Amino acid sequence: MASQSRWFRIFLLLFFTLLGMLAYLLVMENHQRSASPSLAAVPEGGDFVLQSADGPVSLKDFRGKVVLLYFGYTLCPDVCPTSLSTMAMALKQLKPEEAEQVRVIFVSVDPGRDTPERLKKYVQYFHKNMVGVTGEKKVIDDLVRRYGAIYRIVDDGSGAGYLVDHSSTIYLVDQRGKLVKLIPHGVTPESLAAIVREQIGKH
Amino acid sequence: MMWMTKKINRLVLALLVALAGCSGGGAPSSASDDVGIDSAYARATPPGARVGAAFMTLKNAGGTVHALVSARSDVSATAELHEHVHKDGMMQMRQVAKIDVPAGGEVRLQPGGYHIMLIDLNHPLSVGDKVTLTLIFDDGSERQVVAPVKQIGLGMPRN
Repeated sequence: MASQSRWFRIFLLLFFTLLGMLAYLLVMENHQRSASPSLAAVPEGGDFVLQSADGPVSLKDFRGKVVLLYFGYTLCPDVCPTSLSTMAMALKQLKPEEAEQVRVIFVSVDPGRDTPERLKKYVQYFHKNMVGVTGEKKVIDDLVRRYGAIYRIVDDGSGAGYLVDHSSTIYLVDQRGKLVKLIPHGVTPESLAAIVREQIGKH
Repeated sequence: MMWMTKKINRLVLALLVALAGCSGGGAPSSASDDVGIDSAYARATPPGARVGAAFMTLKNAGGTVHALVSARSDVSATAELHEHVHKDGMMQMRQVAKIDVPAGGEVRLQPGGYHIMLIDLNHPLSVGDKVTLTLIFDDGSERQVVAPVKQIGLGMPRN
């Protein structure tokens, strides 16, 4: 009888130790989950109206199309041309009827220097399915915030005037105007074409 | 006898050092002699672009570090040395005072890193154009290089 109750006590001890370990693991896992944003956490995105050389452009104008949205400025000698070239090359890898279902919107975060006319010439150089837009700073700032982008104007005494630090993410907006995916800087035209093609197929 | 040999040895060594100093003009060789330039090119620019960028690899065959401190071009009002860094979630471009070319080593000016920023272009850079760049080093020596204009689509140059 005595030995039976001793075994029972050992069993209880083991049981609670294991339970404690399990609880600890669960808490830790949840903690880590909240610390690193999951892939599902896409910013709210949403509609906007900005100015192009051919009049106001609204995201609503592109319902039924897949939209690639990018924030930059034309006095950007390297990063923006690289991203715009990547998007242009991805479009060229698609079949013409697929490319027709895609639009690229280049939003200049430098309305002080980028006029809609300058933007039109700039983006059309890369691909005909691109539109360049800009607008009032407060409209741009609101848009940048909703898409989770960032930019900062810096004056380091360069002869180019002030420079603009900016995130270089490509935002994939679906045919209903919903932001569905953030594509990091450095994506290859091949991967981007595959992502876009997949989105076209979902419609 | 032993101490004398030592003294002679030292004398010979001193003479040799002095001679080596004379033949080198009393100073290390200039950057323009030591630094070779490989695969220079400038990026084609969209119409209306005010700025452009030139890239290349600098190789230092000499025994001392050299530094590129400024540049000029025949297609822009000014040229500056710039660097890109990916920091705080942003691509940040900054002017740099110099770009070191390590002794016996090389430094690459390439998309996403160092570049020569061409500011206030006289005309857009089209594929087939040539840009003459003058590189100025920290010892005051200069080198010229002709950079063809290329269309680059990716982060890496396609030569």
